[in-house]
Amino acid sequence: MDKIDKSRFGWVGSDPEHREGLSRPSITYWRDAMNRLVKNRVALVCLVFIILLILSCAILPFISPFNSREQHLSETNQSFFTPCEDSRFEGQNHMHIFGTDKLGRDTWTRTFEGGRVSLMIAFAAVFVNLIIGIIYGGISGYYGGAVDNVMMRIVEIVNGIPYLIIVVLLMMILKQGTFTMVIAYATVGWTGMARLVRGQALSLKNQEFVTAAEAMGAKPSRIIAKHLLPNALSVIIINVTLAVPSAIFTEAFLSYIGLGVPVPMPSWGILAQEGSQVFQVYPEKLWIPAIAISLTMLSFNLLGDGLRDAFDPRLRR
Amino acid sequence: MAKYILKRVGYAIVTLFVLVTLTFFMMRLLPGDPFTGEKQLPEKTMAALNAKYGLDKPVTTQYIMYLGNCLHGDLGLSLNTNRPVTTIIGEAFTYSFDLGIRAVLMAFVVGVLLGTLAAIKRGRPADTICMLIALIGVSVPSFIVASVLQYFLGLQLYFAMGKTVHLFAVTGWDGFNSKILPVFALAFGSLAQISRLMRTSMLDVLGQDYIKTAKAKGLSQKAIIWKHAIRNAIMPVVTVLGPITASVLTGGFVVESVFAVPGLGRYFVQSIQNRDFTMISGTTIFYGAFLIIANLVVDLAYGLIDPRVKLEEG
Amino acid sequence: MAKDMNKKVLSVNNLHVSFDTYAGEVQAVRGVTFDLHEGEVLAIVGESGCGKSVTAQTIMKLNPMPPARIPEGDVTLGDVDIVNASEKEMQKLRGKEVSMIFQDPMTCLNPTKKVGKQIVEAIVHHTHMSREEAKAEAIKCLTQVNIPNPEERAQQYPHEFSGGMRQRAMIAMALSCNPKVLIADEPTTALDVTIQAQIMDLLAKIKTQINTAIILITHDLGVVASMADRVAVMYAGKIVETGTCEDIFYRNSHPYTQALLKSLPSVDADKKDRLVSIAGSPPDLLDPPKGCGFAARCTRCMHICREEQPPEFTIGDGHTASCWLLHPDCPSAEERGEKDV
Repeated sequence: MDKIDKSRFGWVGSDPEHREGLSRPSITYWRDAMNRLVKNRVALVCLVFIILLILSCAILPFISPFNSREQHLSETNQSFFTPCEDSRFEGQNHMHIFGTDKLGRDTWTRTFEGGRVSLMIAFAAVFVNLIIGIIYGGISGYYGGAVDNVMMRIVEIVNGIPYLIIVVLLMMILKQGTFTMVIAYATVGWTGMARLVRGQALSLKNQEFVTAAEAMGAKPSRIIAKHLLPNALSVIIINVTLAVPSAIFTEAFLSYIGLGVPVPMPSWGILAQEGSQVFQVYPEKLWIPAIAISLTMLSFNLLGDGLRDAFDPRLRR
Repeated sequence: MAKYILKRVGYAIVTLFVLVTLTFFMMRLLPGDPFTGEKQLPEKTMAALNAKYGLDKPVTTQYIMYLGNCLHGDLGLSLNTNRPVTTIIGEAFTYSFDLGIRAVLMAFVVGVLLGTLAAIKRGRPADTICMLIALIGVSVPSFIVASVLQYFLGLQLYFAMGKTVHLFAVTGWDGFNSKILPVFALAFGSLAQISRLMRTSMLDVLGQDYIKTAKAKGLSQKAIIWKHAIRNAIMPVVTVLGPITASVLTGGFVVESVFAVPGLGRYFVQSIQNRDFTMISGTTIFYGAFLIIANLVVDLAYGLIDPRVKLEEG
Repeated sequence: MAKDMNKKVLSVNNLHVSFDTYAGEVQAVRGVTFDLHEGEVLAIVGESGCGKSVTAQTIMKLNPMPPARIPEGDVTLGDVDIVNASEKEMQKLRGKEVSMIFQDPMTCLNPTKKVGKQIVEAIVHHTHMSREEAKAEAIKCLTQVNIPNPEERAQQYPHEFSGGMRQRAMIAMALSCNPKVLIADEPTTALDVTIQAQIMDLLAKIKTQINTAIILITHDLGVVASMADRVAVMYAGKIVETGTCEDIFYRNSHPYTQALLKSLPSVDADKKDRLVSIAGSPPDLLDPPKGCGFAARCTRCMHICREEQPPEFTIGDGHTASCWLLHPDCPSAEERGEKDV
């Protein structure tokens, strides 16, 4: 054995600074989730796409020279990039980028205005569901016991009724319009969110920090708002993101079977329905709204998946 | 187990009752009464019709009559064709059922297989491809899938082959070649949903300790998947079969319309467009009842395949 | 020693196991060496996260590869080279030559399969028995582990068993093909104290009745004392001290072993012997320390400990430890300037 110098055997004792083995920096839950989300390219691309889409639906119809309802009867069913020859736009060199529909309305304008209607309906419907779901689920989960029992039975019954059928019935009775669509969707759509929030509340309320808050005399409403909700927030965010495509789908579906927004107003569902009537002759009239609907739903789904992975690394597969 | 069954049946009955009640009162809320449609009926006929359907009696009596009629299977006469709604449903639903059951079976079998494949090949190209397909499936509404299939495979392929053979028929429901496209269009979304669920569930099961035990026994990967994992992983999929049935049924509305399948869905859409209220309410109740019973069957089946349910008390 | 006369059934030599994670390579096991002889009980002791379970699972190659890797070392079971064995060969070995029982009996049995069937499955896989014969054999196994009404119990599902019963069923399953080596990975940790004793008694009985060698993985030194022939103390992916039970309990020389024993309560201890916890936690094996793994927590740490890994020093017959204090050049405590903290 090699001779070792005595000096190297000098005593130093334990090292309190380094003895906590986990040297990885501790970061907060939210920052950690954000870091993971930023690393997820696909989800980021989807997020950017969604933002761009919202912006273009909000802005493009205003800067378009055409109005979504104005009919150019001399140039119906035109294809892509047709110069506008209507007398009202003479000499202005405008172009129907996506062509025109069977009444000569500009498809470009209608597509983005339709997107605005569809997205607004979807966001509003999800928002209403969210509010109902949080209140209902929060109360049910927080109080537990008999209250919870009764409330959840009700949810189970509402859930047992096939939702699209009820929505169809409601749409028949109420006056056609965007608001009606939101109401119809919200009447049955809140159960999922309510269950989710209740589950979160139940699992969280038995945790010690809530007991501690209770012991210190915090009011129930304060506990729900200050402790339960922030913890349930990640789950809610993910599910809201995933609920948007289902709302977009519902709008498109209802419009497609003839229960959409009232006639002159465009929406993606309406455009798809109009397109499907002529699509053997002018297939692009269906492709445009179809691609818009599909891409939007795809983006929201992918973003939702990305958020889920980011918030819950255990689910990262 | 008996308690579990009783509970499920109880829920089904209450839900049905709520549905019928809801339908009745919603129909009452419709502007005017069912017989003041576009066609002006003579006074006398109106009175006779009102008497026949009890519309001259107070609401509660009407409601009770309506419940009784529903129990007898009398859903009234179609305003458009004047035929009993039940007869129309009976005729049309055969097609819808045929289409729907094929779609559900296809969605279930293919979905489970795709999901399992993706889980086993996790992180490899096969996984990515399966999940890409599934993602498209959940993101593209069925009417778009139907139109795309019809246009490219039904129409363009026919043109491309020199208009000789119809590999896939564009419309109708008679030969086998007319069934492929509608079944696929209807199944695709559910198939995608099932395969996503199956993948997650399979990965979850494969991470369980008992899979390690099975591996420690010396079982091969194949034996572990087929004998231990599939059955347990399939359980969450079985629970969504109820909602899947619902979405296939409602998806049928549009798919039947696109492919001109003479099913109930197409009838339903037509009666919505024609404002045929008795037909709509009758079909609604029929669909609702069908789905509630389907849900019940799924719940009971779940109780059979999961031995743990027997012990659960509530 | 008498044990040395017995046949060697398992030898692990300089085993390294790494996991490739998102954050980088985690060196879970960093050079572990031990032998196991017929009918011997080897206890591997250490805090959680020190590589005990990984070592055990590597013997059966249960860790999914990737992310796990064996960059260095050999494992020989009987005459099979485990590291280079194919998955097919491993399938023949698992359950037959070496089997394993796990920590949590609640999750280790498939909830949707009858207990008897799960045992039959192992028997049919490894022998040429028919289903009927295997069933009879399974019931025999269940009797062997003291399960009352074995015929009836075999027809039940795991959720109808209590925790202790399930662990016994696991043991029955593990022993069903008379393996040469049984690995018990913390077999009592998830159980009640009274049940723990029953399971340990059962393992002790098995040890005397059949000539199976047992690797007992635990963090409970009390369990070790009653059963083990030899003990290996693991820390940060390495064996820091190994020897007979007496060596470890009474003639120990590694500061970690000493600290571990001081943190163990005992009934007959003097009242002035206070329980001492070991401050800190094991190092992160994503970035293992350059010197001795225990250095940061060791109250007797020296300069050299932080710079160089200590070699293995032989203290007595079969008793070795890896600590710089055992180096022949190491001066007395006074000369080192050691202070009692």
